[in-house]
Amino acid sequence: MNEMTEGHIVSGYNNELTDLHQTVLQMRDLVREQIKSALKSLQDEDVAGARAVIRHDQKINDLDIRADDAIIHLIAKRQPVAKDLREVLAVGKIVSDLERMGDQARWIARLTIRFYEGESLPPHQQLLTDISKMAAYVDIMVDEAITAFDQLDLQRALEVMHKDQALESEFKSALRRLSTYLLEDARNVGHIADVVLALRALERIGGHAKNIAGHVVFLIRGKDMRHATLEAITEELERR
Amino acid sequence: MLAMNNLIEERQQPVSTEFTGTVGDISISNPRMTTRNVDVHYGDKHAIMDVSLDIGRHEVLSLIGPSGCGKSTFLRCLNRMNDTIDICRVTGQIKLDDQDIYDKNLDVVPLRAQVGMVFQKPNPFPKSIYDNIAYGPRIHGLAEDQTELDGIVEGSLHRAGLWDEVKDRLHQPGTGLSGGQQQRLCIARTIAVSPEVILMDEPCSALDPIATAKIEALIDELRQNFTIVIVTHSMQQAARVSQRTAYFHLGRLIEVGQTEDIFTNPQHKLTEDYITGRFG
Repeated sequence: MNEMTEGHIVSGYNNELTDLHQTVLQMRDLVREQIKSALKSLQDEDVAGARAVIRHDQKINDLDIRADDAIIHLIAKRQPVAKDLREVLAVGKIVSDLERMGDQARWIARLTIRFYEGESLPPHQQLLTDISKMAAYVDIMVDEAITAFDQLDLQRALEVMHKDQALESEFKSALRRLSTYLLEDARNVGHIADVVLALRALERIGGHAKNIAGHVVFLIRGKDMRHATLEAITEELERR
Repeated sequence: MLAMNNLIEERQQPVSTEFTGTVGDISISNPRMTTRNVDVHYGDKHAIMDVSLDIGRHEVLSLIGPSGCGKSTFLRCLNRMNDTIDICRVTGQIKLDDQDIYDKNLDVVPLRAQVGMVFQKPNPFPKSIYDNIAYGPRIHGLAEDQTELDGIVEGSLHRAGLWDEVKDRLHQPGTGLSGGQQQRLCIARTIAVSPEVILMDEPCSALDPIATAKIEALIDELRQNFTIVIVTHSMQQAARVSQRTAYFHLGRLIEVGQTEDIFTNPQHKLTEDYITGRFG
């Protein structure tokens, strides 16, 4: 709950906005848990754990649908305007990003199953180092993006955008390292292709966190700057 | 790292409920009416405080705000309806084109034809539908003969979207029409004298949603030929019908801007609190 959801004369309106807001926080918790569990399944070579991650994605999907339903009812019943309208629109987009993050976490879980189910030779641990590093980094980004939303914190939203740039660089460095392993031993090609897909999934999670930061800027400032450069966003936000 | 520390100071832009002057651009190019530093007193009560605002050609301007904020008082200043109240004193400048409408030598009768008014409750004269419309053109001498008067009546009813519903009963009483039809009759009566500006004081508050929709559609059509200023308590109506919206609070013009901006990203906290239902 924050100033976006409080203060209406009609307390039912406050409650509905607060419920919607809470759904976002709940989805954030589930997404983070999914990322961590997927990574743990990979580290522990735990196929059953990976299958649980894939199953649990349904919980995130259910919350996404619940949020969309709540938004439709809010628009129909309350006709939100100004910051209420921005809150409702921003939440609609944020839950979509969170739902897609959940889908990406499933990629990591699928990797566990591909690597450790059956008789085929598992990959060398060295190939998986970047996945752990990037997963820890995107977990922070997800947490910060939703905290920025919850606390209406523009600075934190900007930090998430900066982190996404760093993540992109990290992704490119990881790809370069994997190319080196491939040159060293071409038999790694199958494992490396799978690892690249997992890294790509993590990079997408970071991208969704950055999108959420953009929605936070819209929510607070009423300006859609999702496609602006980081410099332009900073300049615009400093202007007022 | 880019400097961001100052951003945290201003997390939510409309932060203050203090009034430090109207937010938004009060002036527009080539206005139909201009008002500057308008103050209205009812005896000791200071009802309107230093309001300046331009009203554009072919635009619908909504005046919104809580009860007692002065929006209707301001509207009534625009055709000197407040003159009828003894204790009311209006100062400042209000111009229609270049004419000061508070000029002592100005005749208010033609002014009220130029700046017509539609009220909250439909108030047709206890006359026939035809005579309701013909009354204004007759007293202002706008028709040379009966044929011309018939043309004005028919044209006005057409423009008010009422012709097809009443063409076969023009000589029946206007008071026999439904509420929505009566209100459109009053609009037809107003436009029969070819006004430049039409003032509407909560014109749909006594009407059902269908009649309201018809009036709103009519307002949009009338905008092609007239300037319209509408006072409304319905935020959705203001959002639907107007191009610019002005928010009044305790006699002050707090904020004015493009309607789409006011309803998505108001700049003053009072505006935001009012339109989002955070205070009454």
